[in-house]
Amino acid sequence: MYHVEVLPNTSGKGSHATPGWTYVPDKGFDPAKAAIAPTTGRKRGIRDPSRTDVSSRQANAIVRHLAELDRENHKDAAIAIPARKDSQPRESATRGTRTKVTSNVRRILQSQKTFRNYLDDEEAALAQAASAGTSMAAQRLPAGRVTKPSSLSRRSATPASATPKPDSRAKKDIPVRLSSQKPSDTTASTSTSTSTSADADSQSQPQPRPKGEEHDPNALIKSEHDNDPLLKSYIPPAPSERLMRALLSEPPLSYNASRAGPPLTGKAPRRFCCICGYWGKIRCRNCHQRTCGIECYKTHEDSRCGAFF
Amino acid sequence: MGTTKPRPPGKNSLAQAQSLPDKTFIIDNGAYTMKAGYAPDSLPPDDEETTLSACTAIPNAIAKARGSRIYVGAQIGTNVADCNEMLFRRPVEKGYTVNWEAQKEIWESSFFDEKTARSKELRIADPEDTTIIFAEAPNALPALQKNADEIIMEEWGFGGYLRCVGPSLNAWNEAQSLFGDPVLSQPGAAVSPTECLLVVDSGYSHTTVTPVYRGQPLQRGIRRLDIGGKHLTNYLKELVSMRQYNMLDETYIMNEVKESACFVSNDFSRDLERTWKGNRRRGQPDPGDGVVVDYVLPDPNGGRRGFMRPHDPLLVSKQRKAVLAGASADQLNEDALILGNERFTVPEILFTPSDIGMKSAGVPDMILQSLSVLPTGLHPAFLANVIVVGGNSLLPGFMERLEAELRQIASAECVVRVRRPKDPIRSAWLGGSRLATNKDELKKMAITRQEYQENGSSWTARKFSGAL
Repeated sequence: MYHVEVLPNTSGKGSHATPGWTYVPDKGFDPAKAAIAPTTGRKRGIRDPSRTDVSSRQANAIVRHLAELDRENHKDAAIAIPARKDSQPRESATRGTRTKVTSNVRRILQSQKTFRNYLDDEEAALAQAASAGTSMAAQRLPAGRVTKPSSLSRRSATPASATPKPDSRAKKDIPVRLSSQKPSDTTASTSTSTSTSADADSQSQPQPRPKGEEHDPNALIKSEHDNDPLLKSYIPPAPSERLMRALLSEPPLSYNASRAGPPLTGKAPRRFCCICGYWGKIRCRNCHQRTCGIECYKTHEDSRCGAFF
Repeated sequence: MGTTKPRPPGKNSLAQAQSLPDKTFIIDNGAYTMKAGYAPDSLPPDDEETTLSACTAIPNAIAKARGSRIYVGAQIGTNVADCNEMLFRRPVEKGYTVNWEAQKEIWESSFFDEKTARSKELRIADPEDTTIIFAEAPNALPALQKNADEIIMEEWGFGGYLRCVGPSLNAWNEAQSLFGDPVLSQPGAAVSPTECLLVVDSGYSHTTVTPVYRGQPLQRGIRRLDIGGKHLTNYLKELVSMRQYNMLDETYIMNEVKESACFVSNDFSRDLERTWKGNRRRGQPDPGDGVVVDYVLPDPNGGRRGFMRPHDPLLVSKQRKAVLAGASADQLNEDALILGNERFTVPEILFTPSDIGMKSAGVPDMILQSLSVLPTGLHPAFLANVIVVGGNSLLPGFMERLEAELRQIASAECVVRVRRPKDPIRSAWLGGSRLATNKDELKKMAITRQEYQENGSSWTARKFSGAL
């Protein structure tokens, strides 16, 4: 049962043209209101997870779990640098003739920032650069490098929109190159690709080889089927030197943009028993954790049901 | 090489411009261990062992054992008797050197202090006469790179400095024999990088994929999965703590358990069926044989180390009988973890991160994602030259699984070859040492101390990003 309530409409305070209530989006599961809007029956609650929306709670639990896996020690511990008795002579010995500690060094050594702090700084700087518009980014660019517009937008854009960009550019490049270089394939591939030829000859026997290459130990046997279109292997030619130079001179992606994307295959995630690790065949109707059978379910119900949500 | 290249720059050009010092020290500053040592003066003829003997892997941590004893760096491996409840402070977070206070302490005790430096090969006596190659993880934050530049050049003042992406150093290794290709390079020629190499680096904090073209990373293709050895250890710790003993504080011990017991399954559902607890009841021969093992936990009082043995469900009753019959009772008070599906479900998250709810591609998918932003013409070359480095590659079955899965999802026209160097942990260091013997290349990439003092750290950052 959904909870319907009359909300005061602030904008329509003066005029009476609008009614005194408004539609608001259903925010999904709210633990505070779970008692007011009970789930619609036991069995439907099991079959249809969207009714009792645990996905946000589950997402929170997963985030917490991943953070837990990322920890160095199970409990927080501050380990101080051990004090050395002979620190004074050692300092002078290693520093040698140099003068005292520079301000940069002192600042870095005293900094207690964690990686999270640095990452937040970086994200804030990127977001600011993006919101300041392209003029800012254009000013930043000459400091970095004179490159194509693609690298400019990638530097300033948010990570989510940044990743498809190189993709589209790469796709754009390839058809052009394919169409233009296909006729002169032999000359292009001999000049540019020495590495691709090594694996090309190990895998594509029927591919016609460019002439004038000596392969004494593993020379290919020529036959009349060499030019058979059915046996032809379609290996695209190696990219041009100019393209490789452009690729090599690109600036690095940001930390977040270089994270691996979602899986390519749309397979449903596997579920495991939260007690013994076997396939999770049945789902607890309270907390939606999986268990493998009645034995593990009993253990789960007795001890850990709802522990993570 | 030494014979073809004499060293005039050291003498006659000293007046106008400082040149790079002859000695090169390489640090691959990992989160778990740092791999450090001097590069050889010239390349020893096809013998990696002698070169690698100069490289030492030192734990990059400050550890606190029970009783508040503190151990720094190399002491962790040797001096610690009781590793129960050991706590760690690591200066490298997520693969990047963040806390230089702790890092300085570890470096000083490992490399600079003659009392604590392990051996003469590791001691940096005079940084002014040393070039340092500092390998970092890809996609580092610029602020952290700037910190590293400033502290290396201003605190220690090395005579020459090169900061580079660690995985790309692997390209300087000799890869042809690893892949079974005919060796192309002439024996006398200077070292040159492999043309196309796809480096999968599965380390302590993360797993990265780096396409390296002629020794330089193709930045747009670098991808990272935030699962590494630390996550595997913590996950194993969590599973064991829930099912058996509470091991949550025993990171060090669980890491040893992981290293000796975990493997990557090549048929996940079959192995999961074999370890099902329902098999035991049916009275037939247990199909879990060979998969289920005991890990006997170390006993610091008895001075025994942990070890693994095949699981015997009747062992406890057998031991009781033996004790009753008059045998010594010390076998009874050993503690053992029974490891069944934990052995392979833990490393499985590298291949299927969705098992722990992570919405990220596994390692094979990540390789294809990395290639998808590169020109198709490069795909065959990269897929045929996949090299896996980092500690996780030592998990049994990892290489077979990666090659099999990559073969399935890669284009059928491409040859897929996945190889692991002889020493995957020190492979980047070895590549760096081979780069260091090629003084011409090194001079192009590195900066001298004088250049740093004249131009400052922001110039240095631009130089190392390839913008100058």
